[in-house]
Amino acid sequence: MTKYMVRRVVMAFVTLTVVACTTFFLMNAIPGNPWLSEKTPTQATIDALNAKYGLDQPLIIQLGKYLGNLVQGDFGTSIKMQKNRPVLQIILEMFPVSAKVGILAILWAVVVGVPLGCLAAFKRGTWVDSFLRIVCTIGISMPGFVVATLLLHTLCGGIAGLKLFPALFDGTPGSYVLPCLALGFYPMCYLSRQTRTAMLDSINQEYIKTARAKGLKNSVIIFKHALRNALIPVITYLGPQVAFTLCGGLVVETVFSIPGLGRYFIQSIQNRDYPLIMGTTIFLAAFIIVMNLLVDVCYKIVDPRINLTRGN
Amino acid sequence: MAETKKYNKMGSLQPNIDDILDWNALPENAFEPATESEKESFIQERENVSYWKDAWRRLKKNTVAMVALVVIILLALFAFAGPQIVPYSYKEQIRGSETLDPWHYTLEDKQKINDYIEEHSGSKVLSAEEAIEQARAEAEAKGEKLSKVEEAKIRASANVSQQSAEETAMTADQAAKELGIKTKMFGYSDRELQRMAEGEKVFPHVFGTDDQGRDIMVRVMVGARVSIIVGICAAILVLIIGAVYGSISGYCGGMVDTVMQRIVEIIYSIPEMLIILLLSATLKPALEQFQNSGDGVMQSLVTLLGPNLISMFIAFGLLYWVTMSRIIRGQILQLKQQEYVTAARALGAKGSRIIGRHLLPNCVGQIVTTTFLQIPSAIFLESFLSFVGVGVSAPLTSLGSMCSEALSGLTSYPYRLFIPALILSVLILSLNLFGDGLRDALDPRLKK
Repeated sequence: MTKYMVRRVVMAFVTLTVVACTTFFLMNAIPGNPWLSEKTPTQATIDALNAKYGLDQPLIIQLGKYLGNLVQGDFGTSIKMQKNRPVLQIILEMFPVSAKVGILAILWAVVVGVPLGCLAAFKRGTWVDSFLRIVCTIGISMPGFVVATLLLHTLCGGIAGLKLFPALFDGTPGSYVLPCLALGFYPMCYLSRQTRTAMLDSINQEYIKTARAKGLKNSVIIFKHALRNALIPVITYLGPQVAFTLCGGLVVETVFSIPGLGRYFIQSIQNRDYPLIMGTTIFLAAFIIVMNLLVDVCYKIVDPRINLTRGN
Repeated sequence: MAETKKYNKMGSLQPNIDDILDWNALPENAFEPATESEKESFIQERENVSYWKDAWRRLKKNTVAMVALVVIILLALFAFAGPQIVPYSYKEQIRGSETLDPWHYTLEDKQKINDYIEEHSGSKVLSAEEAIEQARAEAEAKGEKLSKVEEAKIRASANVSQQSAEETAMTADQAAKELGIKTKMFGYSDRELQRMAEGEKVFPHVFGTDDQGRDIMVRVMVGARVSIIVGICAAILVLIIGAVYGSISGYCGGMVDTVMQRIVEIIYSIPEMLIILLLSATLKPALEQFQNSGDGVMQSLVTLLGPNLISMFIAFGLLYWVTMSRIIRGQILQLKQQEYVTAARALGAKGSRIIGRHLLPNCVGQIVTTTFLQIPSAIFLESFLSFVGVGVSAPLTSLGSMCSEALSGLTSYPYRLFIPALILSVLILSLNLFGDGLRDALDPRLKK
């Protein structure tokens, strides 16, 4: 276990370095510079600004300096969007909003999706199963922005008398409902499909027969024996999905005008705010990697048979 | 003879000797040569069933998959043949037909509605200039002249009354409701209705037009075409990279496999959305530069497809092959233990030949299914990128960018968002359903 963890942590750092380098070279390959605005500044101004922020040095040296600072926990300062404010401070201000929406979305996806999947598995072949299957297949075929705008249109005043929630995000509990619903809909449908398959798989196993033969209660069989084994593929999916929801939340953030990190990231690309692009990417990548690591540890807890040290 | 037959005891396993003796006593005409038609039907009955025919037979039984296939074909026709039929082009701005709804009132009905509105909003409200003209005429009739001050007064009061009239005036929709006039299908502008009344044939704006007078149906068709092209190209790219990488990694094994799998692991945990956003922002200008650098074959290819599209499926191909390579590696790891691989190796076949001729054809079912299921996921991603604003750029359009454009006018023109969104969802849904059916048909072992 220790050996495995050490290997994973080393891999995590390698991945982060790769992400940092890729992002660095990619963003520098985008034509344009941060200083373009309505008034095109003179070449002399551009040179002076470049010199001030160290953008006149060769890319390799810039990258080396950035990585050196990063190791010391310094993400640099924003050069365009919020001038001279530390990037880390901006991220820490934006991230909680995205994280709140994302976590709530995942939470409702799990709380609703997994039981629905179980229900479909137990009612296999009945109309309940067919109905859930149709809903879930439609759910995974609708892009996030379609769900979001559909909700926005129907529940925020599009239909007369149905103005249940505010259309613009203002931080009140009511304004969290629709973004979370929209963001969690896809994972909910996907999770319930996965749970159904996994549940059917585990119901047909021998140990379920044994449990039944022992005379266990149906609820014990379902929750203690069948569901616990069915959860493994579900957890596998959950790790990347948490990450995806936090990054992919930017569609929902655009539709509902949530001041989240995803939307800010796109703006920072458009504005060529280099330190901000780097900071956001590295921060989110680190978050995703930690999530994946946590998921692998969760495996071990749910199913002690899984041998982590012997590769994947 | 039948009478003399002695039957054995019930349940005896001994053959009846008499019967066996009879077998050889066949009459002269017991056998006759098969006729031509019999021969033919015999061959037909025993026609060999190939892998694909077998899969097709299974697929045909799957109603859901077949319905999905029909929907896909219809959508493909809509996307590829549609723009040839409709006489408008996706970037043509039709003068006088801006912001048309996908429904219209006939000219007579419009007249009725206007009359009704006038009736119910009291006397016809004059515009400022008209009021002045009227006052001037009155003044002249009395033999006086209108002073500048009086003119200004009239203008101000006319403006005020006009404003209040506008506030209280009923809209055309309310008037139509009260008159009981129903709207007709499709959008036509007044001018087009006039031309139709003169007997000319005018192609309707089935889904209406947008603010700039572009026909929404043609734009939806072109958008769907872009989505389908992106999906297919990205899937092929993923297939090529994934198949090569996965098969080399699986076949070579050992150190090569370890290193290659570490690389896969790294790519797997990269936040793909962020990198794709960056990549498409980077590649687009680079490709535009390349497009203008000369006029070789590659340059004209870039012009044909558009730099936006190419940058999108490069971004897709670079990151999404990981899943494909994992699946193929897993299959190859299993297959390379088979005897026929050992036999091929004993005959001196090279690694590339073994992979190409023996291993890959044996996991074709998995490959086809995975490739096919990449198409909806690529379309998903394309619409996402276009929606966020880094996908295809004007004047070309895609379903995602149409949705994004429609977002600002959602309350007034909800159909502008829902039509492309619906087509997109139906497209992805039917691709997913057909892909699931394909998997069941090609790999029946997976079916539960």
